[in-house]
Amino acid sequence: MKNSNRTNPFIILFFIVVSLASLLPFWLILMVSLTGQNALVKYGYSFWPKDFDLAAYRFLWHDAEPILRAYGVSIVVTVVGTIVSLFVTSALAYTLSRSEFPFRGALSFYVLFTMLFGGGLLPWYLVYTKFLHLQDTLPALIIPGLLGGFNVFIMRTYFTTSIPPSLVDSAQIDGANEYRTYFSIVLPLSLPVLATIGLFVIVSYWNDWFTSLVFISNDRLYNLQYFLYNTLMNAQYLQAVASKAHIDSTSDRILPLEQLQMAMAMIAVLPVAMVFPFLQKYFVKGLTVGAVKG
Amino acid sequence: MKRVKKGAFALSSLLVALSLVTAGCGGNGNNEGANKQPANNAQGNASAEKTLDPYEVVMVYPDGKQNDLGSVQTAMNDYLKTTYPALNISVKLNPIDWSAYADKTNLMMSSGQKFDLIWTANWMNFDAQVNKGGLLPLDDLLAKYGQDIEAVEGQFHDGAKRSGKIYGVHVHQELGNPQGIALSKALVDKYNLDLSGLKSGEFKDLTPILKTIKDNEPSITPAVGPAFPLNAYYGSGSTANIVGPVGLDLRDTDPNNTYKIVNTYETPRYMELAKLTREWFKAGYINKDATTPGIDVWKKFQAGTAFAAIGSDLDILAGTAIGEAQLMPSKTGSVGSDIVQVPLNIDRLQTTKLAATMQGISQTSKDPERAMMLLNLFYRDQKLLTLFNFGVEGTHYVLKDGQIALPEGKSQETIGFYHDVMWQIGNQMLNYTRVGEDPNKYKNYEEFNKKVANNPSPILGFVFDSEPVKNELIAISKVQSTFDPGLQSGQLDPEVEVPKLLEKLKAAGIDKIIAEAQKQLDAWRAENGK
Repeated sequence: MKNSNRTNPFIILFFIVVSLASLLPFWLILMVSLTGQNALVKYGYSFWPKDFDLAAYRFLWHDAEPILRAYGVSIVVTVVGTIVSLFVTSALAYTLSRSEFPFRGALSFYVLFTMLFGGGLLPWYLVYTKFLHLQDTLPALIIPGLLGGFNVFIMRTYFTTSIPPSLVDSAQIDGANEYRTYFSIVLPLSLPVLATIGLFVIVSYWNDWFTSLVFISNDRLYNLQYFLYNTLMNAQYLQAVASKAHIDSTSDRILPLEQLQMAMAMIAVLPVAMVFPFLQKYFVKGLTVGAVKG
Repeated sequence: MKRVKKGAFALSSLLVALSLVTAGCGGNGNNEGANKQPANNAQGNASAEKTLDPYEVVMVYPDGKQNDLGSVQTAMNDYLKTTYPALNISVKLNPIDWSAYADKTNLMMSSGQKFDLIWTANWMNFDAQVNKGGLLPLDDLLAKYGQDIEAVEGQFHDGAKRSGKIYGVHVHQELGNPQGIALSKALVDKYNLDLSGLKSGEFKDLTPILKTIKDNEPSITPAVGPAFPLNAYYGSGSTANIVGPVGLDLRDTDPNNTYKIVNTYETPRYMELAKLTREWFKAGYINKDATTPGIDVWKKFQAGTAFAAIGSDLDILAGTAIGEAQLMPSKTGSVGSDIVQVPLNIDRLQTTKLAATMQGISQTSKDPERAMMLLNLFYRDQKLLTLFNFGVEGTHYVLKDGQIALPEGKSQETIGFYHDVMWQIGNQMLNYTRVGEDPNKYKNYEEFNKKVANNPSPILGFVFDSEPVKNELIAISKVQSTFDPGLQSGQLDPEVEVPKLLEKLKAAGIDKIIAEAQKQLDAWRAENGK
């Protein structure tokens, strides 16, 4: 007891430093997004701008339609993707957790296999475009993220360690079939792991821009991250192009200002940052992949 | 649990080992497969199709979003139909965002998707595309259907030649740039600065001018980066760059050394410019954030905190000559105050420049001949070129005194089509200029091109195959990236740091690159009788 009292201030200090380290960049981004153009050029980034200016946000408001649409795409993909992903992942994990299941070993190996080997970009692309013809559709954004081998194993471990086999047995003795057991007994008992995997999946769907880059050409289906990435990269490319190729750079496209990029980053990060507190209570108990945890 | 883990570990290590083996095989197999299939297709079609059935040429090029792309495509097709009915060609415009261009074109080629004309460049995977067999050799097609291309670009195919065959058609454009300094005219006038000393073409003669500004204008940075003398060094008359920091020292007047490949960090010219930059840095002429990535020099001019930009590309104007001070129209417009440019160097004609923007024909094209016919039209037909670059007259632009202007009440954002990337295809000299540009812009280009073409690099036409020294090049670029910013901005003392840099480059294998480059260059000379 004494010991822990003495170390407490250091732990507190440590966490203050860690928290600041994660919060300050956000603060800086917010402040830069609120700084006037000229002040930015003159004084650079600062934690408290000399000259507040909402121009970047006004500009975004003015250009709201594509941004809102990209928001919509991101939200639909994330919500649908997360729900379906949780179902698919937990269903597979539950199957793998049942020792009665005959092909358990082979199926586990198959899942493990996908964690270690990727088909590579080209076969991946060919399957979705040549065989499934999903380019330029929302499913192209959802399906690739549905199942991750790692998530399956986390869930399987949770099911085998946290749900007593006798509980499943007793449910079945009471007449529940496999579906009933799964939906009424196993899933309600697994909220912590569902919340955790759910958060992983939400974040990965929300942050995913590469799938858009590969499969989406129709700008109405750009998700938010790709929309931002695209705006940024197009601007950078136009600048790089001019210098790299020594090509005529006289055309003056309006390049997005730094504040604008920062404002976009703020807009993109908010929703996912807001999801976390709602899921946080499930993380208190935590998860285990391997060792025993009580 | 323990047993499971042990088993899993053994299993996963086995799988990792397996994956390494199969990944290697898989990669090769894929490439071969992708190569063979389209090649057969193309050959079969070239011989079979002689009658001119209708054909849609798919054009792939990078561009941002254009809301009104459809009407431009329709207008191009109407025009092609009425003007060239015999060719029976229609076009499909397939622009891809800049950000996705490299990845998407790669996937389109590898997956055998059908398209015809593709914009490509040596800094946008051209060599990889040629190596993979994604592009067709164009020599025969050019001879048959490329008369108008040959008329303007015939002597400039060297940049696109790989193993003796042409794989790209260079866009007819300026062949180089002047580099030098850009100055705020207001300050030049205020202190009555004498720019005549710059006729020497030497950066060092700028020192007294920078000093005047430093002494009298405390709030203004005399020289803003990141473009400093050292940065300009490679694009200048100092070296003929081959790969990474390896090239020829063009200042070496010994005729025995004309084709001697050196490490350009070792040349006296590099040290001279590095010392000058260091001197400027110590005197406080250079902005402190010069090494921060993404610094926009011109924004500093806009904010009134900069006096000179050093080592940047300048406009090509009538009478562009070393030391000749002229108003710089492009930046004067965007910065909002007068900017004066003084060229200190004019590019020599370099192989890489001739591959900086090209059109290729894809292996997956079903009718490469028709693709070449269309490409040829872009080198002679101003109307077609204008449709592609500026859109439909009256809708997307109007002509004001022979220049392109936006229609009344429209802006770049609301116009629906503002492609405006003239250097992607065709003969630029046929283009209109925009209102605000020098109406003689392209005449100036022609005049400038003569100057550049008359001063070719001694190794014009030599293309280095970097495959044998790929690993060394990666190692070397890592070393460069740790030293370059500090040296280019003067923050490192070259007398102390350059020897360290040279030592690290040696350790990274620069001698092997030099030897390989020398070997290839000697073979090239023997072949071409240089």
